[in-house]
Amino acid sequence: MGTPCHFALFELQPSFTLDLEQLAARYRELARGVHPDRFADASEREQRLALERSASLNEAYQTLKSPPKRARYLLAMGGHELPLEVTVHDPDFLLQQMQWREELEELQDEADLSGIASFKRRLKVAQDQLNDSFAACWNDAAQREQAERLMRRMQFLDKLTYEVRQLEERLDD
Amino acid sequence: MALLQIAEPGQSPQPHQRRLAVGIDLGTTNSLVAALRSGLSEPLPDADGQVILPSAVRYHADRVEVGQSAKRAAASDPLNTVLSVKRLMGRGLEDVKQLGEQLPYRFVGGESHMPFIETVQGPKSPVEVSADILKVLRQRAESTLGGELVGAVITVPAYFDEAQRQATKDAARLAGLNVLRLLNEPTAAAVAYGLDQNAEGVVAIYDLGGGTFDISILRLTGGVFEVLATGGDSALGGDDFDHAIAGWIIEQAGLSADLDPGAQRHLLQIACAAKEALTDTASVEVVYGDWRAALSREAFDGLIEPMVARSLKACRRAVRDSNVELDEVSAVVMVGGSTRVPRVREAVAEMFGRQPLTEIDPDQVVAIGAAIQADTLAGNKRDGSELLLLDVIPLSLGLETMGGLMEKVIPRNTTIPVARAQDFTTYKDGQSAMMIHVLQGERELISDCRSLARFELRGIPAMVAGAAKIRVTFQVDADGLLNVTARELVSGVESSIQVKPSYGLTDGEIARMLKDSFQHAGDDKVARVLREQQVDAQRLIEAVQAAVAADGDRLLDADERMVIEMQVQELTELMKGTDGHAIEQQTKRLSQVTDAFAARRLDSTVKAALAGRNLNEIEE
Repeated sequence: MGTPCHFALFELQPSFTLDLEQLAARYRELARGVHPDRFADASEREQRLALERSASLNEAYQTLKSPPKRARYLLAMGGHELPLEVTVHDPDFLLQQMQWREELEELQDEADLSGIASFKRRLKVAQDQLNDSFAACWNDAAQREQAERLMRRMQFLDKLTYEVRQLEERLDD
Repeated sequence: MALLQIAEPGQSPQPHQRRLAVGIDLGTTNSLVAALRSGLSEPLPDADGQVILPSAVRYHADRVEVGQSAKRAAASDPLNTVLSVKRLMGRGLEDVKQLGEQLPYRFVGGESHMPFIETVQGPKSPVEVSADILKVLRQRAESTLGGELVGAVITVPAYFDEAQRQATKDAARLAGLNVLRLLNEPTAAAVAYGLDQNAEGVVAIYDLGGGTFDISILRLTGGVFEVLATGGDSALGGDDFDHAIAGWIIEQAGLSADLDPGAQRHLLQIACAAKEALTDTASVEVVYGDWRAALSREAFDGLIEPMVARSLKACRRAVRDSNVELDEVSAVVMVGGSTRVPRVREAVAEMFGRQPLTEIDPDQVVAIGAAIQADTLAGNKRDGSELLLLDVIPLSLGLETMGGLMEKVIPRNTTIPVARAQDFTTYKDGQSAMMIHVLQGERELISDCRSLARFELRGIPAMVAGAAKIRVTFQVDADGLLNVTARELVSGVESSIQVKPSYGLTDGEIARMLKDSFQHAGDDKVARVLREQQVDAQRLIEAVQAAVAADGDRLLDADERMVIEMQVQELTELMKGTDGHAIEQQTKRLSQVTDAFAARRLDSTVKAALAGRNLNEIEE
């Protein structure tokens, strides 16, 4: 069977715009078919296959469900190499990054919980905007560079979301 | 061959025979075994009608005593009586000291880093002690249900790490149990409560046992239980409440903190009784020797407040990790005897803004859920309505990188099974080996993480630095157990290990224990091995026959089918004899000839799931 494309596994056309509810429902149906629990009394070989299939299904689902991962996956399809860490030439965003970070540090120093809540809301808005912009350009070869730039921005905001969560955890101590 | 022809497609080729399987809650304080009887999941009682087996093991020179009588001997024979052994599972001597309590045992080192407890019967590892508890439960189940068990689902705290899970599985193996699945306790509880297929929504499971605390957030959708996040504290439980009360007695009575083991046990028993009494009364009189004083529920609440707060903090973290809001949680389930403490219920209700569910006995709910899943896994339910439990790994898994840092390969709360690869390269010209150090934990410094295993990839051909491409693959199975493979991609040199935790038993130790247990049981080793080979062969034959009956017409051509049927018949013949080696060889052969068929069946279930989906869409 080889390794089918993540989209093909879900019988979807490659696209950035996905109905996440539908994706989740389909994931659950597929998981029902291949989960090792269905093969608890089957032969060792069948159990091993179920384990492998389940693992690749989970991997596909994790990738498709997260916008930055899905974006990256779409750009990497067709054999494009995309190194994880690069210095992106994106001066505007660099400036914005610094502002986000400074703000987060202030929130930490002041242990400002309502400030964190509003920071999270703004972060969400920024993420939604990025997603829309990416959806509009990823499939256009002429805008490839812009799509990659947007994908890196998405990755950064994703990381920032994680940092906010860690900050919340520290403030909870 | 005749066997195969009688069966209608989709039917079992043999007359319906219920395969006996049980759910076991191997708890810190108490253990239970449950099974499905007449469609109802219920705990199995012992000869005296008791369902709860205290997790207490007392070693005598010539026998082992397990349960209530052993527990009662804890104060009079503290060195030979092991309580709360679950807290020692998968732990090293250093960890055990850090548990912060004065354990009365004398520990000795073994081949591995695992602490062994010195008893009159010689050194006993926590795995052996747990196996002694499991053996009693297994015997109870076999005599109650009237037959040999196909297997068992054994529950573990969701927060158990790799080492603790492996230790639990080793204990089951020592007790002669076939583990169908290690199931997380909160998930088992959710199954017990959420049997209703129509149950939908986000559920929080708050599980405070004797020695561990777990919080899991699950999403229930049409029979699928998806764990969104799990967290907790593997060293927080009702025992800590007892210790808090004991500490209070020591302080109030002006006792020396340096008590002998017997006095310590006695003190803890008094503390535990006081705690239990305070569930129903506002104040209790505590008596220790000549000293007596009143302990009010309010004062008790104050003593345990730091621990309750710790549990709530873990709850908030799990909710954050699951990406749901607190008000989306539509039900809270209470599990574990310690959730009887009124302050605990009150605090949980305050936090989630709703009264928690407590209808099913919190001491039994885990075993009840485990039994339901065991019955499904044993193959008794195959109508498409079986529940599907999608669990996650509780702690991130990663590798040591340059500078003593941990690089995460699989982050915590990733759904299992999972496989993920990471590429590395050599940093010196001509480097021929690379050390792979596998870690578990959330912190950045490797010294703050748990070391799971180290192994070396050798034989890398000479290349310049950075030219080799070493792919390290992590694979976590449905039990949460890890397998790591390292492979140099240019040359194809490979090295892999089933991760044996640093604090686990060595294979040598397991072999010795198995041997001991055979001798102890007066069992003939050869007969036992033959029996195991026959069981394996029988299991495979049944699986193959069921598969052929279900999908043979569709997925096998006449030749393939004949080959399989011939091999089945051959194995059936061999099983009548006593040639274990021949049975083993033929089992392997049958497994090989059904390989391709197995793969086809699996792929076809994926297609069937999709086809069903498309049909629904058309109907809409």
